[in-house]
Amino acid sequence: LNAAPGRAPRQRVRFLPAPAPGGGGAVELVAARVPVLADHPLVRGPRFRKLKIGAGHRLDVKSSGVFVLGIGHGNKLLTDLYNCHLTKVYTVGGLFGKATDDFSDTGNLIEKTTFDHITREKLERILAVIQGTNQKALLMYSNIDMKTQEAYELAVKGLIRPMGKSPPIITAVRCLQFALPEFQLEIHCLHETQQYLRKMVHEIGLELKSSAVCTQVRRIRDGVFTVDDALPRTQWNLQSIQEAIRNCQLKVEAELEKTL
Amino acid sequence: RRGLGVAAGPPSTRQLREAEEAAPVFQYAGKAAKRKDRVFVWGFSYSGALGIPSFVRPDAGWKKPRRVQPTPYRLETEEKISSAACGYGFTLLASNTRDITKVWGMGLNKDSQLGFQRSRRDQTKGYEYVLEPSPIPLPLEKPQQTRVLQVSCGRAHSLVLTDSEGVFTMGNNSYGQCGRKVVEDEVYSGSHLIHQLKEFDSRVVQVVCGQDHSLFRTKKGTVYACGWGADGQTGLGHYNITSVPTKLHGDIAGVNIIQVSSYGDCCLAVSDEGDVFGWGNSEYLQLASVTETTQVNVPRHLPFKIGKVKEAACGGTGNVVLTEEGNVFVWGYGILGKGPNLIETAVPEMIPPSLFGWSDFSPDTRVAHVRCGLSQFAALTNRGELFVWGKNLRGCLGTGRMEDQYFPWRVTVPGEVVDVACGVDHMVSMVRSF
Repeated sequence: LNAAPGRAPRQRVRFLPAPAPGGGGAVELVAARVPVLADHPLVRGPRFRKLKIGAGHRLDVKSSGVFVLGIGHGNKLLTDLYNCHLTKVYTVGGLFGKATDDFSDTGNLIEKTTFDHITREKLERILAVIQGTNQKALLMYSNIDMKTQEAYELAVKGLIRPMGKSPPIITAVRCLQFALPEFQLEIHCLHETQQYLRKMVHEIGLELKSSAVCTQVRRIRDGVFTVDDALPRTQWNLQSIQEAIRNCQLKVEAELEKTL
Repeated sequence: RRGLGVAAGPPSTRQLREAEEAAPVFQYAGKAAKRKDRVFVWGFSYSGALGIPSFVRPDAGWKKPRRVQPTPYRLETEEKISSAACGYGFTLLASNTRDITKVWGMGLNKDSQLGFQRSRRDQTKGYEYVLEPSPIPLPLEKPQQTRVLQVSCGRAHSLVLTDSEGVFTMGNNSYGQCGRKVVEDEVYSGSHLIHQLKEFDSRVVQVVCGQDHSLFRTKKGTVYACGWGADGQTGLGHYNITSVPTKLHGDIAGVNIIQVSSYGDCCLAVSDEGDVFGWGNSEYLQLASVTETTQVNVPRHLPFKIGKVKEAACGGTGNVVLTEEGNVFVWGYGILGKGPNLIETAVPEMIPPSLFGWSDFSPDTRVAHVRCGLSQFAALTNRGELFVWGKNLRGCLGTGRMEDQYFPWRVTVPGEVVDVACGVDHMVSMVRSF
């Protein structure tokens, strides 16, 4: 970053003594633009010594996916994005037949169960119930008076959403793949932690009268940032970062305008 | 004490894997695990209509009487219940078994709407409040072959439909709603009389109770009515009492009716072609689309351009229909389900499907059935979810809150809801477990 051409040094108007065009010893004051010496790179030093980087919504050690960072002035936008309360989308992979103490496949085994009675229909039924109860929680925690006309209109459009602190709420779940004993779900949620998602996989296993552990948690969308915008490990260099920031700026501004 | 040949320290990966494979496998449900059928009740319990005696008379010292059950509560039944109906303070449950006991009743029994329930304290008198589902003895000719298809309850009378022995009626008959001649000064409390109705043009396939009248629909598509007619709800062209089921004419003469519905003083009928016919009370604009009069005593066709109608349900002041596409339309007076601003309308208004769980994620979620209580509405989706809205009288909506609900709200029931029956202040649902 420091190698990039920095800001041009400030110029100021200064009256310099210069020999008068007339000749002779009289010194005239001529206005000339002169670079301020205090701005010289050798005087000032490298422009960037520290970078303030802030992190967006937390991501576990065992999970992967989109992780939003703010650099410098972007940190202020981070708090604004947090207050927008946008949903995050995860792909969660699970495995039937095992139950462990930390709900993931690397924990200590507690119990093994049979799972051949599970069908895709039963799983989808459970997912529908989960969506139903979370829908109720969504309406309840949004602190809108249910008796008003605007509450009705927001509910019709589906825009009711808790704008403050709330326990984890799941707005939508969908089964992407189902191949016994493995399955994969796409979960849209608010205010959650990855451990809560793993616990949910475990509870789905219990509801189906079996047990399940979570093998994979991957965030594919965090508010406006999707996997397509995200930079993989190989692209962690200055040009890609600058390009990514430029591409996302418009989207972020639009979203903030809409919500706040 | 560990042996000398065993290594110390944390187990290696291979040991972990071997321990895992050696762990016993538990089986909680086999491949042939069946889903159980359950009954859930909620609402006002002091009349005994919920069928749980400990809510009214606590059986343990620490229990307190529970006046209102605001969320669904499981009711234990001996048999699988196939049909249920809620009246004004009482409930009937019926099972289509071939056993001798086919119908159970609970709640108010001051007019013998639950038949004669012999009191254990005094063998000559009957119970006025039945707190537990008690069998109703029906005078069947072939008790071990006849099956009960459907039950229906009105304000103080009830109807039981069987497959081969016609319709049995019991309860209050001061307006002839039981289909038998009105006896002056008849005492209905503790009465043993259960009347049987058999003379219809073909087999009766649906019975519906209004507040003080009864409707019968036969296989041929004709509708019969008897009972109170001061609002024209018998649809027979006059405003008098009818004590014998008589055939209806008017706009439904010759039309094959596939469903009738009533709960208050207004009635709706749906034909096989998707047309809606209505008669009865129209003080709340239920029939205002065809007439300005407040009482209509002849069935009139309601020319709504909302598509082919599949099912209709009548409440006390509001009506709801379900079309073939799965859209729900409401009209009438009261809390109709479109927010607090819509209090009354004469023309059906559609409730947006997004309120019933339809979204981009689940585009094939549709409403499968609609039901009406006196001032509440209920809708069942094809995913087995129950949505309720309307006046929350004594907790009858089952949402857990006591406030009125102005738009459809999910009721959390542990299972897939198969059917629901709505009453004045309580509801009964039949649910299949997961």
